[in-house]
Amino acid sequence: MKLIITIVSIAVLSGVVSLFAPWWSVALVSFVVSLLLVQRPGRSFVAGFAGAGLWWLVAALYRDIPNDHLLSGRMAQLFHLPNGGAFIAITVVVGGLIGGLGAWAGGQLKKP
Amino acid sequence: MTITTKRRRWGGYVIIIITTVVIRLLDQPHGDLPAIGKLLDPVNGCLANAERTTRDFGSAKKIAQLQGNASVMYDERLVPHIRAVSDHDLYFLQGYIHASFRLWQMDMQTRAAAGRVSEVVGEKTFEYDRKQRRKGMLYAAERSLAAAEADSRTKVMLDAYTEGVNAFIGTLSYGDYPLEYKLMSFAPEPWTNLKCVLMLKYMADDLSGKTDDIAHSYLRTVLPAEDFDLLYPDKISGSTPVIPRGTAYPTRTLPEIAAPADSIAFPSYRSSDFGERSESGKGSNNWALGPSKTASGAAILCNDPHLALNLPSVWFEVQLTGKDMNVYGASMPGAPGVVIGFNDSLTWGLTNNYRDVKDFYQIYGAEGDASSYMFGGERRKFDLRIEEIKIKGKPTFNDTMRYTLHGPVMYDEHYNEKGSLKNTLAVSWMGHRGSNELLAIYMLNRARGYTEFVDAILHFECPAQNIIYADRRGNIALWGQGQYVNKWKGQGKYVMNGSDSATLWRELIPMNENPHTLNPETGFLSSANQNVTDSSYGYWYNGDFTELRAWRINDVLGGMQHATVEDMFGLQNDNYSVLASKTLPLMLWYCKDVNSKYLDTLRQWDYRLTMNGTAATIYQLWWRNLYSDIWKDEFSAVPGYVIPLPERTMQLMLADSTLKYYDSKRTAKKEVLRDMVLRSLKETTDSLQQLEKSYGLAWYRSKNTSATHLTKIAAFSYDSLKTGGWGNTVNAMKGGHGPSWRMVVEMGKEIEAWGVYPGGQSGNPGSKYYADYLQNWVEGKYYKLVFLPGTQAADKRIKYTWAINK
Repeated sequence: MKLIITIVSIAVLSGVVSLFAPWWSVALVSFVVSLLLVQRPGRSFVAGFAGAGLWWLVAALYRDIPNDHLLSGRMAQLFHLPNGGAFIAITVVVGGLIGGLGAWAGGQLKKP
Repeated sequence: MTITTKRRRWGGYVIIIITTVVIRLLDQPHGDLPAIGKLLDPVNGCLANAERTTRDFGSAKKIAQLQGNASVMYDERLVPHIRAVSDHDLYFLQGYIHASFRLWQMDMQTRAAAGRVSEVVGEKTFEYDRKQRRKGMLYAAERSLAAAEADSRTKVMLDAYTEGVNAFIGTLSYGDYPLEYKLMSFAPEPWTNLKCVLMLKYMADDLSGKTDDIAHSYLRTVLPAEDFDLLYPDKISGSTPVIPRGTAYPTRTLPEIAAPADSIAFPSYRSSDFGERSESGKGSNNWALGPSKTASGAAILCNDPHLALNLPSVWFEVQLTGKDMNVYGASMPGAPGVVIGFNDSLTWGLTNNYRDVKDFYQIYGAEGDASSYMFGGERRKFDLRIEEIKIKGKPTFNDTMRYTLHGPVMYDEHYNEKGSLKNTLAVSWMGHRGSNELLAIYMLNRARGYTEFVDAILHFECPAQNIIYADRRGNIALWGQGQYVNKWKGQGKYVMNGSDSATLWRELIPMNENPHTLNPETGFLSSANQNVTDSSYGYWYNGDFTELRAWRINDVLGGMQHATVEDMFGLQNDNYSVLASKTLPLMLWYCKDVNSKYLDTLRQWDYRLTMNGTAATIYQLWWRNLYSDIWKDEFSAVPGYVIPLPERTMQLMLADSTLKYYDSKRTAKKEVLRDMVLRSLKETTDSLQQLEKSYGLAWYRSKNTSATHLTKIAAFSYDSLKTGGWGNTVNAMKGGHGPSWRMVVEMGKEIEAWGVYPGGQSGNPGSKYYADYLQNWVEGKYYKLVFLPGTQAADKRIKYTWAINK
């Protein structure tokens, strides 16, 4: 349950913060959230990855779907990926990784 | 503090450091790789450029800089119809809109003109930038800017346009930047009037910046004079000139100048390295039919300028409606006004006029004085100009350029095309002179009849253009317009001795003496980069003219009666190869005993280079091999590989089958044309068999017409477009060049116009309007253009509106 709460908190806060902060703010949000909602470092990483990834996924789809996948398709071709979906997946992984790392750091500092 | 707490703290710090490092890595570009984190950020990264397919372009806007109220209406194809009262507001909005759709393109093309690409790309474009500076591009633009700012009309035009572009740039934050800025990791910089002029100079360089002087000097050393004239005639026989034979050309008022006895300079170089290979068949078509030739009794004008098929397209459609103007047509992102189009009285079109307006001079330094050169037996000081070339990631390179009376020293010991050129050469180019083509555009957009048209185009000095005209009263006219020098016979055909004062460009030909014609008896006019006049024109000139398309166009139009706009669409998309029709029967005759399925295909061919045609591929490949076999052994060392034109080769083939050039230098046997034809057929058969095994013989696959993004990024480009034609057919679809804007205008009681260009209004690869015209262009289909009358308020074809309040 705590894991889910952490994930949702990271996702929602990341979304709010992204309105005025740079792209890497997901790491900061994940870090702070994992300091407050203390879990084992491994679980913190998972929460950060899932939370930040979730926010990036939602934000990416918000742009990609009304665009008919035009841009994601071109970006996929640019990076030699099979399709726009793969490009979105990479996006989510990068967002997740940054979030995960931030959360992991927080979790490590407050390890129970 | 326990040991475990300490350890986990340390662990936490290490992860914080790792996280920071990862973020920093992803936040910075690495070489050509963009900042991945920034780019993938779904909020402000590349996905911010994913435009909604249902985006509403309409809105109510408040723009404080406007002088009055204005409106912009977008039709279904996203063509803006801009309405404003003052010139300031019109050009402000044009700048604002150009920028909102094409900002990165405008930025890059003006950087390319000025030689400022390395600033944002780095070292790899340094040589390109340096060449631009060496050509004197920035110098040229600065002089033309002074001329444009000295005229109150073009000053307002430029100031307002620049203000509009900058107003748009002012609204941007990183997330709004065009995608290419994010990929290339740089940011828009403020627009300037100079950039508008640079855009025009970019075109001038593209269209009049090539000259064969160096090659001609070389050819004079290796060919007897009569052979040179035979292979490279100033005027090819059978030419159907731009201003038709029989036209009473204006009387010459300037005196004829005697040619100096010995003025040619022979620069030396390692020719294998020198210059770019010239691509033949680059050009444009335009024609106009008077009332006697058309079904409707109204004049019809057509134009298709052939330019690089880039994305974003070089053109942007727009309608400008002001208090003294209602004009529609193709505008150039980066410059105000409409370049090719029509207004409520008349229509005009452009093709390049290839009269030579660029000459090279060999410069002789004064002995013992590096700061001077010799001219007319005297020493003269070079004027120095420092070109500062900024290079991303490297120190700035300062190039001290020396300017002579003739113009800038382009080649010397510091800059010599990879060491191949051994001499100091200066260049005189008409584009270096301060001219104000924008004024021509300003006046042309407002002209109401022939006299005002002429007043307008006389300001169009460089690049010289064949400007065609038609109006609602049924008049048609054509001008070979540009600023030219009164040259002695042969002046500027070869590299000249710059120390001989007789070689200097002297008087300018009064422009009303340029060849022109109004309402010829034939009822039609056309130009397709061919020779401008026959030899009865008073002034001598030379140039880089090609005839094949003109022959076809004049042939078709001459026989045409009751022409309709559909006939015009047909002719613009005509794939008939005059070259094939004349050469192939001869080639086949030499092969009448040869059995080959390829020859069987050719024997039934109608000489049309159709999209899917296999005969087209067979012929084109065969011709290419034959053409090359004839010339390559003698001429492979010519700088820029300037070999006799295909049409000249064709004439020689038909006239003489034993010309000495057919004889290959590598064999003992004395060869004649027949041997060349048979050998090239064998080479061709081998290649065709290879081709059949790979992707087949469909013509479109072999020639690969492509619309390529300016960055060359394949994901933003389209290749293997299913088009027929070639550079020497009216439908001049080559690999990377082609009809960049097809326009047909019927000047009836109601003006009706059609057009299409390879691209779309938006420069954003993430927009559905990025290349939405491309398929119709490929198929030869047209859009009916929405030309709103000046008074009308609403139109059902308008989809979005900006109501703009001051």
